[in-house]
Amino acid sequence: MSAWASVLAEADKRAARDAEIFGPVDEIVARIGREADCVIPILQAIQEHFRWLPEPALWRVCETTKITPAQIWGIATFYDQFRHKPVGKHIVHVCHGTACHVTGADRVEEALRRQLGIPAGGDTDPEGEYTIESVACLGCCTLAPVLKFDATTYGHLDAQRLPAVVADFEDVASQNPTHSCDHDHEHNHEHGNVIKVGLGSCCVAKGSDRLFTALKAAAKETGLDVQVKRVGCVGMCHRTPMIEVAREGKESKFFDALQPTEARQLVLEHFRPSNPLRRAIGFGTKLLDRFLTDDAQDSISRHVLNVRDPAVDAFLGKQIHIATELFGEVDPLDLDEYLAHDGFKALRRCLGQSVFVAEAKTGIVSENGAAVPRTPAHTPGARGKRSPVLEKPETGAATKVTGEKDNVGKLSPLPEGEGKGEGKRGVITGIASPSTATLPLNPLKPDEIIDMVTKAGVRGRGGAGFPTGPKWKIVAAQKNETKYVICNGDEGDPGAFMDRMLLESFPYRIIEGLAIAAIAVGAHEGFFYIRREYPLAVERITAAIAQLEKRGFLGEKLLGTNYSLKFSVKEGAGAFVCGEETALIKSIQGERGMPRLRPPFPAESGLWGKPTLINNVETLALLPWVLRHGAEKFAAIGTATSKGTKVFALAGKIVRGGLIEVPMGTTIREIVHEIGGGVGKGRRFKAVQIGGPSGGCIPARLAETPVDYESLREVGAIMGSGGLIVLDDGDCMVDIARYFLQFTQEQSCGKCTFCRVGTRRMLDLLNLICTGKARRENLEELERLAPSVSMGSLCGLGKTAPNPVVTTLKYFRDEYEAHLQGRCPSGKCQALIKYSITDHCTGCTICAQHCPVNAIPVTPYARHVIDQTLCTKCDTCLRVCPHQAVEVK
Amino acid sequence: MSAKITIDGREVEVADGQTVLDAARKLSIDIPTLCFLEKCGPMTSCLVCIVKMKFNGRTSVVPSCGMKAVSGMVVESETDEVRDMRKTALELLLSDHVGDCFAPCHRICPLRLDIPEMLRMVKESRLPDAMKLVRDTMPLASVTGRLCNKPCEQGCRRGTWDDSMSIRDIECIAADTAFASDYIPACVAPSGKRVAIVGGGPTGLAAAWQLTRDGHTCTVIDRSAAAGGSMRKKPPEAALPRRIVDAEVDLLIKMGVTFRLKSELGRDATVGALASEFDAVLIAIGESAKTQAPSLGLTALATGLKVSPTGQTSMENVFAAGAAVRPAAQVTRAIAEGTAAARCVDQFLRGQPIRRSEKSFSSIMGKVEREEVEIFIHSTAAEPPSSSPCGSCGFVNEVDASAEASRCLHCDCRAEGNCSLQHYSEMLGADPGRFRQQRRRFEQHDHPGNVLYEPGKCILCGICVEIAKQSAEPLGLTFIGRGFDVRVGAPMNREFDAGLQKVAAECVEGCPTGAISFRSGKTVSPLPNHQH
Repeated sequence: MSAWASVLAEADKRAARDAEIFGPVDEIVARIGREADCVIPILQAIQEHFRWLPEPALWRVCETTKITPAQIWGIATFYDQFRHKPVGKHIVHVCHGTACHVTGADRVEEALRRQLGIPAGGDTDPEGEYTIESVACLGCCTLAPVLKFDATTYGHLDAQRLPAVVADFEDVASQNPTHSCDHDHEHNHEHGNVIKVGLGSCCVAKGSDRLFTALKAAAKETGLDVQVKRVGCVGMCHRTPMIEVAREGKESKFFDALQPTEARQLVLEHFRPSNPLRRAIGFGTKLLDRFLTDDAQDSISRHVLNVRDPAVDAFLGKQIHIATELFGEVDPLDLDEYLAHDGFKALRRCLGQSVFVAEAKTGIVSENGAAVPRTPAHTPGARGKRSPVLEKPETGAATKVTGEKDNVGKLSPLPEGEGKGEGKRGVITGIASPSTATLPLNPLKPDEIIDMVTKAGVRGRGGAGFPTGPKWKIVAAQKNETKYVICNGDEGDPGAFMDRMLLESFPYRIIEGLAIAAIAVGAHEGFFYIRREYPLAVERITAAIAQLEKRGFLGEKLLGTNYSLKFSVKEGAGAFVCGEETALIKSIQGERGMPRLRPPFPAESGLWGKPTLINNVETLALLPWVLRHGAEKFAAIGTATSKGTKVFALAGKIVRGGLIEVPMGTTIREIVHEIGGGVGKGRRFKAVQIGGPSGGCIPARLAETPVDYESLREVGAIMGSGGLIVLDDGDCMVDIARYFLQFTQEQSCGKCTFCRVGTRRMLDLLNLICTGKARRENLEELERLAPSVSMGSLCGLGKTAPNPVVTTLKYFRDEYEAHLQGRCPSGKCQALIKYSITDHCTGCTICAQHCPVNAIPVTPYARHVIDQTLCTKCDTCLRVCPHQAVEVK
Repeated sequence: MSAKITIDGREVEVADGQTVLDAARKLSIDIPTLCFLEKCGPMTSCLVCIVKMKFNGRTSVVPSCGMKAVSGMVVESETDEVRDMRKTALELLLSDHVGDCFAPCHRICPLRLDIPEMLRMVKESRLPDAMKLVRDTMPLASVTGRLCNKPCEQGCRRGTWDDSMSIRDIECIAADTAFASDYIPACVAPSGKRVAIVGGGPTGLAAAWQLTRDGHTCTVIDRSAAAGGSMRKKPPEAALPRRIVDAEVDLLIKMGVTFRLKSELGRDATVGALASEFDAVLIAIGESAKTQAPSLGLTALATGLKVSPTGQTSMENVFAAGAAVRPAAQVTRAIAEGTAAARCVDQFLRGQPIRRSEKSFSSIMGKVEREEVEIFIHSTAAEPPSSSPCGSCGFVNEVDASAEASRCLHCDCRAEGNCSLQHYSEMLGADPGRFRQQRRRFEQHDHPGNVLYEPGKCILCGICVEIAKQSAEPLGLTFIGRGFDVRVGAPMNREFDAGLQKVAAECVEGCPTGAISFRSGKTVSPLPNHQH
């Protein structure tokens, strides 16, 4: 045995390892391509395969493609998605979005680390079971705080519920059902008996996928005449999973918070077997069920959502659904259904064809021009008494896990037929079958499309509100054979999930919108750039494009005409800055997403140096409606400078969170108090944070501010993409400013000095303030630096990064002053608060039992004391104390 | 096609495609740039070249290097607001700049001798080079080599590890080398101005040296038979052999200084007479000036002659310096006073506003941890001093000196004097401490190929990344990471120099700071970006 043997053995080992790596890499490269712009998809595929990026794999890519080591390494270290070391068996994403932040994401993460045994500074437990990763926002804000275990999302968490969540996940993981309901797609031939299940990401996170599967199984098993149908987001996220039971000739019924175990019962109770024999069996089963479980009837009943409830009315009443047209109504991926609802008619018009569309009926605009609220077809808007059913689950029943229903009262379902005729069913346009009232529309030439969009007053919904028509005009005017259109679906603002919902729920409409834009500017190729945190959105857009191509609607002959149009999906890799258009373009080109100086604007020189139009998802979603109903109808909604509607993701400290679409000009008060039902009991509404990290905080006293581009800018905020986080008296405004700055600071691409270093220095100063270490000079320096960062930064990220600081300084200066004196008035900043136990303590020992760090010695029947040196301020004692004997100062 | 724009109220026309920066340069407006290098194109990363621009009804702040000039643009460059923004940009960069402009020894030295550079030369047995460096920096170098109180050695970082460097002894050996050679420090072109320096002590001789270098014709007037003043009286012969003083005076004569000896102020010539005979007079007659003041027609305070902050007496062209103004116990101090006064006289003679040289800009790391010193120790001779000083000059021979010099940590910045960040920070008066926070750890990657990479000094301009890309380096460089933690490096965790196999020299040249440099010493090329 010589040294040679070991050298050879080593070489063999390396060869074996290489084979293990090279095989899959070569396959990936062959599948995706060898050009430099393939780098991101290649890395994504490599990571998908290995779960991280082994270095030999990267070398192999460079060897077999035009990608250079410098390029691949620059990319692999730029985007958050890519991991450079092996990970545990499961990945837990901890959402640190705004809504999660204000509802205690930090504490949840701390507890999670303890629960999983992940050492401080590390991200994986010693056994290699779990790796935790922070994410900027999962877009499930109404369920905050949120954790995602692999593909399973859990919402409404707190430290005490974590053990149950982990146990549930392990249960799920052991069954290995990585099952997406989307694969169950089948053509829905609508008939009377339908159970509609909302399957947006939020709904899925709340368990609607399991419910969907259970309902399908139940329908199949019982053989009953009912179709279980997937629909998009229903908007009422505070109620998910919500289902609608529609029966031939009967009023629809709505249920929320149903458990999969109840699926069978629900089906049995509402539908009749199609033939007598089955009917008899069904009857027998029903009887048996009742016999075996005496509370069967009740358990279903108490989930019934009283649709005549004023709260539901208030939530939906002020809304107008244009971008969210047909919400909760159609199967996202059912092309025929989309076509049946005038789908692609606007596009046909743009392709020079005459079309007939259902007339925009009542309710859009009243005679005096004011927007008249409508309710969706399935929501009879009759008045009724508010029922206990509608109380928001107070403790937020760590969904999917507990099955607790202690938070809902008992109520019988509405007697069938009651209220029928009072409702506004059928009010919504397009729901009626296409053969009813139709309106002829003449064909449009590209410049006429642009004129119409201009006249409608459509402005970009992505943030800055640049007028859409004029933007198109610039691209259309470019003399270049090749032009591109891009749908910007890189919705990165923490606290925003409108675009995700639109992409998931209405993929065909967004595609139609982008196709219209392409025709208007003369482009023949387009991209959907969608952030990777939205897997369902990616999946649905990809599937919708495939479906359209299969049917020959998209490709060489767009809707059978001679116009060729090719669409593809590009997945982001985890970089907020890629929402900035020049960074987005770089990302598509396979570069680090670093913005560049404009001009030249992408309209002149964009993707691959060609004229490029980039529009936001929501902007595109509005277009088919505008082209079907006319510029005037759209322009009649909203305010003088801001036309139409705006979709908001309403979350935070609010009773009824969800996705809403309101006319421009709706006031903040209307949104918070009327639609959202205000902040929780006993709390005081303090402010709304609007526009995310680029926006600002508007104090309660300015609640009459209408939401339109100009009014918001006037008060220091911006429309942004539409995240609207409600804050109450428990939220520290300095902490909010610090939170957002930390976000932008982490998301800065690192190119220009003012953003890279400037935001960091602002954060340093805010950290000093939040920890009570700041002096007045530090506050003054913060105020001095903010405008420099705004002015000097190269792109929108840096230019708007100081906004949250500037607005909080403007409206909540007293809180900054208090911090200078070492006080946090809201009791939020950890360094400035102390937990202690008051005289109310009865010595029940509950706090001591729950304290995760044993900072409270057990002293039965005596007042407990918290050891301040051990206390991590996790808030557990305060939450569990039955006598309100824990105070924070 | 061309574009006509207005900068600071002046119209300028540039060719189509040229930038606002091009236009400004055409008007000789010195817009600071760090990340801009012609061949790399605009990086628009440092944002130090920002200007305020009004165009199409909108006002914005933009980097001039990347903004194409379009007719109708109205640009502001040299306004307080714009300067303040540029200064803020520099201060932000400096707040994350881990490195000293000067090694402590250099920074502390009253005569600003670039000690680490001298030590590198001595270490490499380039004694003549070291001699030239010393002789070009300071007057009476062989005197200070023997009598200096060595503040440099007190500041020496090697001293925090084991023993300080024997800097003075090495300087002495280098300085003495001049006497055996015919080296004469270079002087600028004659100005035609004549200066009388009264008093041939350390202050007066230092002033004469400096003014001669500045191109003025100097006459030293001294009442003794031989110039040297206190240097001839105070120190014992063993500490400062008188032949050394003679040699220093000879060197001054060789440079062109004339001496009017045995001539006493007041007796042989009045201040007034000298003031009219010469373009300027510098009184450096030592402590006796205080008592002589009334007879000379000058005013005295308790410390010495009364002078303005610029060193001027009641007569505009009569200056005073050294112990004549304020008692100075230390010879090095006295010499420094002489050179400082000479600079004021020079400015006066050239009709420039007189500014007593203020403390120059300097980035300072502050306390250096032992782990950081270890980084420096890595590439030095680890042994403590190999020989002990003997005689008036510490080393018997240059071999010993070379061995000692190899102990130097070279904790200076190789780009000092050739650094755009330093240059513009000085120019705009940037305060390196404005945003100072907990600094990052000092890092130095010392590569075999003489390339020294100090990531803490990198401003992420991207010039080296671009140069490597353009020249198709096999591995090249890339930005690594994102945001505040972005670094420049070779891909896949390879050593920095692996990415620069072909164009290291070009990158050292192009680097606007000292992030990439040659270990062996400072580059001699002028600042690539600067127009002086």
